[in-house]
Amino acid sequence: MTRELKIGFVPLTDCATLAMAKERGTFTSNGLDVTLKRYGSWAAMRDALGAGAIDAAQMLSPMVVASAAGIGPFPGEFMSAFTLNLNGNAITVSSALFELMSSRAPETVLRRPLSAYALKSVIDQRKDEGKPKLTFAHVYPHSMHAMELRYWLAAAGIDPTTDIDLVVVPPSLMVDALASGQIDGYCVGEPWNNAAVVAGIGRTVITSGEIWSNGPEKVLAVRKDWAVENHETHISLLRALSETSAWIDEMDNRMTVAQAIASPDYVNAPFDEIVGSLTGKNRQTGGELRVDMPDFNVFHRYAANFPWRSHAKWILSQMIRWGEALENVDVDGVAKSAFRPDIYCEAVRPLGVACPKSDEKMEGTHSHAWLLTEATRPVAMGPDCFMDGRVFDPSNVDAYVSGFAIRSRQNRLGESDTIQVSSLSV
Amino acid sequence: MPMASEQTPASSGSSLTSHSDLLTEMQSTAGATSPVAPLRVLLIDDDPDRIRQVEEGLSANAVVHTASRLHGRALLDQISNVAPDVIIMDCDSPDRDTIESLRMVAQSNPKPIVMFVDEEGSERMNDAIDAGVSAYVIDGLTSRRVRPLIDTAIARFRQMDGLRNELRKTKDDLAARKTIERAKGLLMQHHGMTEEQAFSSMRTMSQQQGKPLKDVAENVLTIVGMLAGKTTGMGEL
Repeated sequence: MTRELKIGFVPLTDCATLAMAKERGTFTSNGLDVTLKRYGSWAAMRDALGAGAIDAAQMLSPMVVASAAGIGPFPGEFMSAFTLNLNGNAITVSSALFELMSSRAPETVLRRPLSAYALKSVIDQRKDEGKPKLTFAHVYPHSMHAMELRYWLAAAGIDPTTDIDLVVVPPSLMVDALASGQIDGYCVGEPWNNAAVVAGIGRTVITSGEIWSNGPEKVLAVRKDWAVENHETHISLLRALSETSAWIDEMDNRMTVAQAIASPDYVNAPFDEIVGSLTGKNRQTGGELRVDMPDFNVFHRYAANFPWRSHAKWILSQMIRWGEALENVDVDGVAKSAFRPDIYCEAVRPLGVACPKSDEKMEGTHSHAWLLTEATRPVAMGPDCFMDGRVFDPSNVDAYVSGFAIRSRQNRLGESDTIQVSSLSV
Repeated sequence: MPMASEQTPASSGSSLTSHSDLLTEMQSTAGATSPVAPLRVLLIDDDPDRIRQVEEGLSANAVVHTASRLHGRALLDQISNVAPDVIIMDCDSPDRDTIESLRMVAQSNPKPIVMFVDEEGSERMNDAIDAGVSAYVIDGLTSRRVRPLIDTAIARFRQMDGLRNELRKTKDDLAARKTIERAKGLLMQHHGMTEEQAFSSMRTMSQQQGKPLKDVAENVLTIVGMLAGKTTGMGEL
C-alpha cells in the first residue's frame, strides 16, 4: 500500500536528496507517494512540521537539538534519525572588507584556512577610530551558520557578542544586503556565496568544512509522536533517502543533480551558480581563486547519514558557550532525544549500509582520512578536525566549553525560552 | 442614532455587507475594545493589495506602518523605530526568520505576530499559536476581518504572556522557599536554634535591612557555609 507523505524543503542546494528521491522515483519504489513543499523560512517550516501540516522536513541540525533542549516553539517534539549532508556553508565578506583585511595583514589572507586575524585587526582599528561596528549576517538563530561564524571569529580573538553586530537575513537576500553595504559579511549555504563571488561583490574567506571538517548541516526532522505512530513509513522514508544519498554522492551524478535542482520547482537559480557547490570544482576560498573541494558537500560517504550523538552534543556545547542553553542542561538526555542512530541503523542495515557501533565519537582527532573499524563493516571516514586544533570529547562537554576564552557568560535565552526550559527540567 | 440599532450581532454573520457598513462595524467594535491611544501596527508585506486591505480595515483606529522591501538590519531598525503593538506578516515571507531572531533575544520585547497563510490544509496551524506564534490566519485576508483578528491575536498573546509570568512567579516563589528552608536548616545545625528561632531571626533581619527574606537567606547560606569551612556552591563559574 502506498503511503502519502508531505515533506518540507528550503530552496538550497542541499535539498538535493529530497529532490532527487522524488525525481528518480525512489520514494515510489519504497512505497511512498511524496509531495514536496517549498518553504521560504525555517520558522514557517518548523511550525508546519510541529502543527502536522507536513510529516517531515529538511531542517537545520541545531533546530532539532534546540527543540530537544526545550528551546523555541514545539519544545521536545522533534527528532532526527538521518543526517542529510555534511559541510556546505561558507563565510563571504564584501570585496571592500577583503581589501582592508589584505592590506592590514597580507600574510594571513593568503594562508588556508584563512583565520580571522586580519579581520580582528580591521575591527580593532575601527574601534580606535570610533567607527560603528561591522555587521555580519547568518540565516537563523539556531543554525550551523551562526555557530560556524562565531567559531571562526572567536578563534581569532573576536568576540561575536560585543565586537560586531549579528543579524539574521534570508539567504536569497544576502547578496543584495552585501552589495548595498547593509552587511559586511555573512555565513550562508550555496548558491549564495558563489553568487557574490561571481558578481564581484564579495570574497569567500573560509568554507564550513575548513572550520569543522564534516560537521552535520541539514537533517531530516520528524515529530516524535509521528515517528512512533508511523514507524514503518519512517523506515521506508529513511531507506529511500539512504539510496538517493549514495547515488548523489557519486561525483559523476552531480551534474545531473545540479540540472534537476536548478529548476523553478526546487532552488530556482541558474545552473551555473549551483553546479560549483555540487561538484566542488573551481571554488574560491581564502586567498585561492580556484580550488577543488570535492568534500564541499558530502551526502553519503564517511557515514554521513548516521546521526552521531557527538554531533548533537557539539551543537549543544556551542549553544551553552553562547548563552543559548543553560549550563546545567542534561547533555546526554538532549542528545539521546534529538538524534536517533538506532532508528537509522534499523532502516539501513538491511540495505547493506555500514553502521557505526557507537553512537558517539571523538571530534577533532583526525586531520586526514581514517578508517572506522568499530562498525558493521569498516567505513572510510573523512577528517573531523577543527580549524584551531581543539578536540571535542563528547563525554566531557563541560571541560570543552570551559576551555574557550571567548564565550558569552550571560544567559541570552529569551524570556519564554527560559521559562520553557525550566518547566521541562522540574 | 439609527446606525446603532443596525449594529446587531447579525451583521457580523456571513451576509454580504457593503464597505461603509463594515467600516461602521469596525469603528463600533473598536470603540468598545480599543484604548485611547491608537494601535500601532507594523505590516511586513510587499503585496500592494494586502497593504491596502489592512490599511482600510484599520484606518479608523490604528496607525499602520509598512515595511516593504526592508530586510535584515533595516527591518529590525524599523521595528525598533515603530515599536509596534502588533506585527502582521505573510507566513511565507523569508523575513520570518529575522523576526524569529527577535523572539530569541533576551532583551527584546516580545510582540504578538499575526501571520497570513494562503494554503489548504493549514487549519492545524492554529496549533502553532500556543507554540509561540500569536495567530495564524487562514484563507488570506479581507478588510473586514483585519480588526477582529488583530484583537484576538493581542488578547491571546496577553493571555499566554500572563500565563508565562504567572508560571515564572510560581517558580521564583518555589526557589525562594527552598533557599529559606536551607538557611533555616544551617542555622539550626550550626547555631543550635529551633526552627522557629531560625525563621524569626531571619525575618527580623529582613525587616531591619529592608531586604527580601530570600536575600537574607542567601546571605545566611554564604556566611554560615563559609564559617563552617565549606563552600555552598554559590560561586558560579
